[in-house]
Amino acid sequence: MRRALGVLAALALLGGVTYALIPDGKPGAKRATVVGLIGSEKRAFFENPDVKAELAKQGLEVRADSAGSWTMSEQAKDGSGLDFAFPASTAPARAIQANWGLQDSPLVPFYSPLVVVAHEPVAQVLRQNNLATVDDSKVWTFRMDDYVAALKAGRQWPDLAGSSAHPELGGPIFVTTTDPESSSSGAMYVALLSYILNNRQVVSDQAGIDASKDVLRSATAMQGGQKSSSDEPFKDFGAGVGNPLVFAYESQVAELALRGQSTGDMVVLYPDTTIYSDHTVVARTENGRKLAGLLQDDEVLRRLEARFGFRPQASPGAFAELMKDKKPVFAPDLTAAKVKQPTVPSLDNLTKLIAAAKGSKK
Amino acid sequence: MNVPMKRRSWPVAAVAALLAVSACTSSGGGTSSGPKPSDPPAATARPGVLRVLAGSELQDLAPILEEARKATGVTVQFSWTGSLDGADAVSSGRADGKYDAVWFPSNQYLRLDDTGKSKVLSETPVMVSPVAVGVRSSVLDDLGWGDGSKVSWAQIGDAASAGKLSYGMADPSRSNSGFSTLVAVASAFSGAGSALSEADVQKATPSLKRFFTGQKLTSGSSGWLAQAYTRAEPGMVGALVNYESVLLSMNKSLPPEQQLTVIRPLDGVVSADYPLSLLSSSAQRERDSFQRLTAYLLKEDVQKRISEVTLRRPVAPGVPPAAGLPSDRRRELPFPGSRAVADGLLASYQNDLRRPSRTVYVLDTSGSMEGSRISALKSALGRLTGTDDTRGVRRFRNREEVTLISFASNVKWTKTHAVPASGSQPGPETELASINTDVQSLSASGGTAVYDSLEEAYRVIGRQQSAAGDDRFTSIVLMTDGESNVGATDGDFKRFHDGLAAWQKSVPVFPIKFGEAAVSQLQGIADVSGGKLFDGAGSLDGVFEEIRGYQ
Repeated sequence: MRRALGVLAALALLGGVTYALIPDGKPGAKRATVVGLIGSEKRAFFENPDVKAELAKQGLEVRADSAGSWTMSEQAKDGSGLDFAFPASTAPARAIQANWGLQDSPLVPFYSPLVVVAHEPVAQVLRQNNLATVDDSKVWTFRMDDYVAALKAGRQWPDLAGSSAHPELGGPIFVTTTDPESSSSGAMYVALLSYILNNRQVVSDQAGIDASKDVLRSATAMQGGQKSSSDEPFKDFGAGVGNPLVFAYESQVAELALRGQSTGDMVVLYPDTTIYSDHTVVARTENGRKLAGLLQDDEVLRRLEARFGFRPQASPGAFAELMKDKKPVFAPDLTAAKVKQPTVPSLDNLTKLIAAAKGSKK
Repeated sequence: MNVPMKRRSWPVAAVAALLAVSACTSSGGGTSSGPKPSDPPAATARPGVLRVLAGSELQDLAPILEEARKATGVTVQFSWTGSLDGADAVSSGRADGKYDAVWFPSNQYLRLDDTGKSKVLSETPVMVSPVAVGVRSSVLDDLGWGDGSKVSWAQIGDAASAGKLSYGMADPSRSNSGFSTLVAVASAFSGAGSALSEADVQKATPSLKRFFTGQKLTSGSSGWLAQAYTRAEPGMVGALVNYESVLLSMNKSLPPEQQLTVIRPLDGVVSADYPLSLLSSSAQRERDSFQRLTAYLLKEDVQKRISEVTLRRPVAPGVPPAAGLPSDRRRELPFPGSRAVADGLLASYQNDLRRPSRTVYVLDTSGSMEGSRISALKSALGRLTGTDDTRGVRRFRNREEVTLISFASNVKWTKTHAVPASGSQPGPETELASINTDVQSLSASGGTAVYDSLEEAYRVIGRQQSAAGDDRFTSIVLMTDGESNVGATDGDFKRFHDGLAAWQKSVPVFPIKFGEAAVSQLQGIADVSGGKLFDGAGSLDGVFEEIRGYQ
């Protein structure tokens, strides 16, 4: 590890010097190398040639490794050699900021709501049993109160009308997530459940933790071994294995659809209450800050962000425009779809909720 | 062998020993093209080379990785080991700086350890295959299971306990396919809707015991399991538990009467998703190589090709699986969520659930073994009597019958120990200590009568079996450092073996090559008996431990 960081540091140094010598924006100019850690859901974006070309035009070359958001904050503890970290939500971003001693408010260039993916026949079973609804424009809604009630009651798939035709529907009804200790989407699920369990109040004290801890623990324990980043359960789902209900970023599905890849019979269910994943750039160096600024303000990059399934903060219509005729069906406007968005508990409370969910003694 | 010989430093240097432990499962699997499994990883990283510690089943990716090399400039240099041993190598830090990435059928076991989890920076599933049961077509007909598409674990368990279905399965303490099977049947039999708990395992114990009465073959590697299935007498082994992809690939070369129908039990499966995993200790240059390689492997056309070549399922949702892979879905049974449950399940498999073993060690204590060699032997065997073994990967198991035969020009002594069952008084520790006392009493002198002593081992087994009338995994380990120079010859032994009863013929011998052992004699013994030759030159400790997977 020390050696790896040495290499990283050398690269960063080199990048910094190069950047200082060469003015940016000129064709053929040398570029500054920006080194960072990103969530796996943004890897395809940073690997895209158009994204690379636009960044290059602006004088940057990004070298990024993907990691689960919390793993990232662990890895980023000794920040030497890193220009930025780009987790998928504010909570790990705050943790990384604390580690790096940063005080500024980091930029959130784009966001993506957390959704539940299912195969269409399974969504129909949910609908038949009032756990989901579908509107005239074929946008699906996942009913969180009813889902949490099912979790509390230990409701099983075979209890649902219409499930017997599907051999993959057995055992208790639950949504599979990543490991909340290592990945942001898993942590967001814990935050979301805790909000519902705490009478639709963001958990802000021990009473709130106590009100949610038992169901959080069982909703986590029944999943068994959890994967460490959002890519994995989603890929398993795509391969036709894994749990029938998977917690994912809307952007993961949208990106596939926009690339023209067939998504089979996958449908996106929008929880009527859900957390938005605020993709937050924590910039440690000048180059890191420059990257953050470009991701937020550069018109070309914003269009590309939408093309990768994200919803750019500064261009609210861009996502809907692109997704208009795509399959599966996406909600063009989350406000119009009446998706409620609770905020994420403070880092301290979220850490306690995650520990309760994992049954760990912290 | 009692000829004086040159002494050299023994055992070998620590670094080489370490390597051998992690790469040693490969000793029999390296027949195909591609990198030789025993190739040590480069001591230092090289540009364009990704050093990957991997499960040996990934050898079938060789053509894909060759194409990947051309397209990306990244060469994958594999070192092979079992999934659970690989997880240990990562958790303990032994993989740091030696490998850039790991690639096993699953990281589930690795992830249950906090240290192990922190050593992996990112994981990308590349392909998927569920663990399934391949049933010989004639057996399928006898059981009335139609085309096999509507069979549950409960039915398989019933058939096994009724003696109608015998099967081979890899050792779950080493192999992910064995472990996944154990998790699947424990989940199915306990009725645990969700991830297993200790209580679920307790509850499922009686049905699990019945299920495992049908397990007739065990193996430390899936390659040898396939071979053993092929050579078993018709009717001896009716099924194999392995990845769907392995079973379908076997069908390409099996004769018609041995073809396997692949059953994915209706009540659920455990699937492997083969995550290519970057280690946190890797350097930036290797991280770039890793990103290039994974991006290539996930391209739609490459995913299609992976599925066609390996018969695993693509992870890209729009890519159709290769022809012959059924598209109907199965429930995925959750993997245990804690190391304690996982290790508890493994320990109870080894000590309580599986059929017990009858294990005979034929040990060369001729004059040439004197000094460091006999010390190495005592240490390697002594390790198998230690109790610090949470998932039952090494030590003699509860209910195991262990016989030690010390030989030189003739058999010097034979001692048999029965390790008591769980819950007995005194517990297993007393018997294990007593085995260790015998091990430490070994002393070197005399010539080398390999075949005479081996024949005696078969006679011992014959007597033990007829006295007890029991049903055990039975095998012989033969360790020698020289050529047989006294008594029966290899021709005599073949005639002796031909005259054995069918059940005794199926007892495999696992010879260990040590010192100046005659490889051709030992390979001959392995071939005649259906065993497998192991190389003790690197680390005798490692080889004795590895062979536990076959006993």
